[in-house]
Amino acid sequence: MSRRVVAILGILLVAGLLLSACAVPAAPAGEAPAAAEGESEAAAAPEEASWWTEAAAPYAGVTIRGVSESTPPSRYAQEVLAPMFTEQTGINVEFEVTSWDEMYNKAIKDMEANTGIYDFVYIEQDIIYTYLAQNFLADLTTMMADDSSLVAPDFDTSKFTSFIDNFKDPTTGDLFGVPMEAFIKVYLYRTDLFNDPDIQAAFKEQYGYDLAPATTHQQYWDIAEFFTKYGEENDMDLWGTTVQGHSGHASSTYEYFETIAPTFGVYNWGVNLDTWKACVDNGGEMNSDTAKEALSWWLGLLQYAPPEATSSTWDEVAASFAAGRAAQGFVYGENAAWIATDADRSSVVGNVGVAMPPLSEGVMADAESGAGYVGYYDGGAFGIPHSSKNKEAALLWLEFVGQESVQADWAAAGSRIVMNSTFDDPLIQEMNTKVDDYYAKMKEWGPLFRGAPPFPFHNTLRGAIDPFIWKAIAGEITPEEALDGACAAAEETMMQLGYGE
Amino acid sequence: MRSNRTGWGLLSPTLLILIIIGLLPFLYVLVVGFFDWNVFSATGRPSWAGANNYRRLVFDSDFLFSLRRTFAFTGIAVGIEMVLGFLLASTLVQDFPGKAVFRTIHALPLLVAPIAVGATWRLLTIPGLGLVPFYLDRWFGFDYRTGSYATHAFVTTVFMDVWHWTPFVTLTMLAGLSSLPREPMEQALVDGANRAQVLRFLTIPMMMPVIVTTLFIRLMDALRIVDEVYLLTGGGPGLSTHYVGIYIWRAVLPRTDYGYGSAMSLLVLYLTIVLAWLLFIVLSRVGRQQS
Repeated sequence: MSRRVVAILGILLVAGLLLSACAVPAAPAGEAPAAAEGESEAAAAPEEASWWTEAAAPYAGVTIRGVSESTPPSRYAQEVLAPMFTEQTGINVEFEVTSWDEMYNKAIKDMEANTGIYDFVYIEQDIIYTYLAQNFLADLTTMMADDSSLVAPDFDTSKFTSFIDNFKDPTTGDLFGVPMEAFIKVYLYRTDLFNDPDIQAAFKEQYGYDLAPATTHQQYWDIAEFFTKYGEENDMDLWGTTVQGHSGHASSTYEYFETIAPTFGVYNWGVNLDTWKACVDNGGEMNSDTAKEALSWWLGLLQYAPPEATSSTWDEVAASFAAGRAAQGFVYGENAAWIATDADRSSVVGNVGVAMPPLSEGVMADAESGAGYVGYYDGGAFGIPHSSKNKEAALLWLEFVGQESVQADWAAAGSRIVMNSTFDDPLIQEMNTKVDDYYAKMKEWGPLFRGAPPFPFHNTLRGAIDPFIWKAIAGEITPEEALDGACAAAEETMMQLGYGE
Repeated sequence: MRSNRTGWGLLSPTLLILIIIGLLPFLYVLVVGFFDWNVFSATGRPSWAGANNYRRLVFDSDFLFSLRRTFAFTGIAVGIEMVLGFLLASTLVQDFPGKAVFRTIHALPLLVAPIAVGATWRLLTIPGLGLVPFYLDRWFGFDYRTGSYATHAFVTTVFMDVWHWTPFVTLTMLAGLSSLPREPMEQALVDGANRAQVLRFLTIPMMMPVIVTTLFIRLMDALRIVDEVYLLTGGGPGLSTHYVGIYIWRAVLPRTDYGYGSAMSLLVLYLTIVLAWLLFIVLSRVGRQQS
């Protein structure tokens, strides 16, 4: 009897596994419509499709492998664009999306050891200077100049925003990466809370001014304090702010140096790019009074952040905000669209406001003159490792994702824009109204934000600084001790690497 | 002479594999440890550093701290696993209803990859969202935060390791206990010895080879723990769970400081060998005295 039961259960299990294996994989929530539209658009361009088929004929059947960070734009490229590319070219794409740390490890090891495992890699804006210094990447300009049969009719570098300049060699102007994502790290706030008349009245009574998105650090602090108390008093899972304060992950170092410090007027991580010095005594700013004030302010916000803040990287910050656990926060723009529109993943749909980060006096003037910036302009490109064994096929893939025709759907799915025309696309215009003009603001404010400083040793420097920020988050050392120690470690590291005497 | 040649011939594939996957990487790490080599340096090439990397690590307070934390973690986690594993094995060696089911369930953590263990425990313990902090707060009003409090993070890594590896100890001890002869125990009981005396003077001495082997395996594994803890805490808060494996990993991979990373790896290997040797001597003496 029991054997029969086991046999039946076994058959049911096998049948279940077979059925699930045969099922059509569901597209990620919020991306399915975009995928369908993208496919219909691609199908409506038979001329272009035939060009891809013809150009890719010598490489049909080839498999190109790539690695990228698991972000909404990368997942869209993996799930939507790669199958479209394979359908039109016969070139298979094995696209690995993984964690940020793992992505770097894999890409750098492959290029350094010259193994040729990957044919395209994600190049974040902050690492491009390091890769160029080590000659890790293939020169796309030269490749296209050498073989005109590989230049797609819909690929035009002049159509990209100025973000593409990050991926050009500063001396030759040659292109080394095709931008696939670009976004600004914005200040998000809950419009339902900020516009509630009762809350507005209570806030004004307590602080003496109207509740509105903060324009100064003091206002941001007040709002964080107010909503944390409001959450406690009303027995709500609500806190005043998010903090990307993982006490053992690089994301906390990035939040402080790239998002918080610039709003106080400390740029380029406080490193003097002419002398490669970081301490005030040597001409740097990493441990300046302003930098210490900025770090104290940011660490102080932890008391008004949800308990997961000290375990939060960029992903958890977006998830916390989407779960309605914070009234305001600094969130990477790639998450803005889904937080504001995807009801399956976000509980604050329709209640998301986008604003400029709060700034110290003089920072806006610095940003407008080009002497400084107001926050982080993040993004990345796909590039071809010098070690790739399928460079031509990989170049076709890069051009495919760099076509104007695929940009709008991609932007809607991943809140990223790399081409000027995408801002005016009807789909983006429509999305724009749902995300509190995020796309329009990105276009308008973009020049005021900036990517990481052009360090040719980005990861090594950050790795030297990380422990000081983590110890400060854990309360093991004061913000002052953290930045004094960080600047000394940064200088020692730069000298070991042969930069700065 | 002929049989000697045949023996070497039969051994040669194993020796070849050992040389390729064991000896050559070791020699490579040994050599790299004497160079300053960072792929992101101005030259990108290695330069001779002599013993500088070894001198550097002696004065690296963070490294020494992580070494101390690693020994504390290893001592506590492996100690608990050995005791718990032995007790469970002593229970499982006897017959009771549902024994097979319990043994299967108990062994399941062994099937889970360390990286998945770390991810699962992170989901369980992440402050504000995980089940563990939620129920600790609801039932006991305990504010449990692995991202903020060093002790909470440390204890959680110990718990995770105990959960993951106690079944391994149980299974090896169970194999050992099952193979012990029953006659000496029965005779001792007949002669008036109680169960504690049988355990102390017969079972443990006879089990000593199994205990020592299991202890060494667990010791070496715990000393080089990386993936589970990295997923769970990232080595934080601060450097509280920055065990030496994570410290080396961060030096070698994100920072690409290959020379220094190699020097640290060799020191840890050396310390592991010394520790294992000392333990072997101590346990052998204890075993001899008891028998």
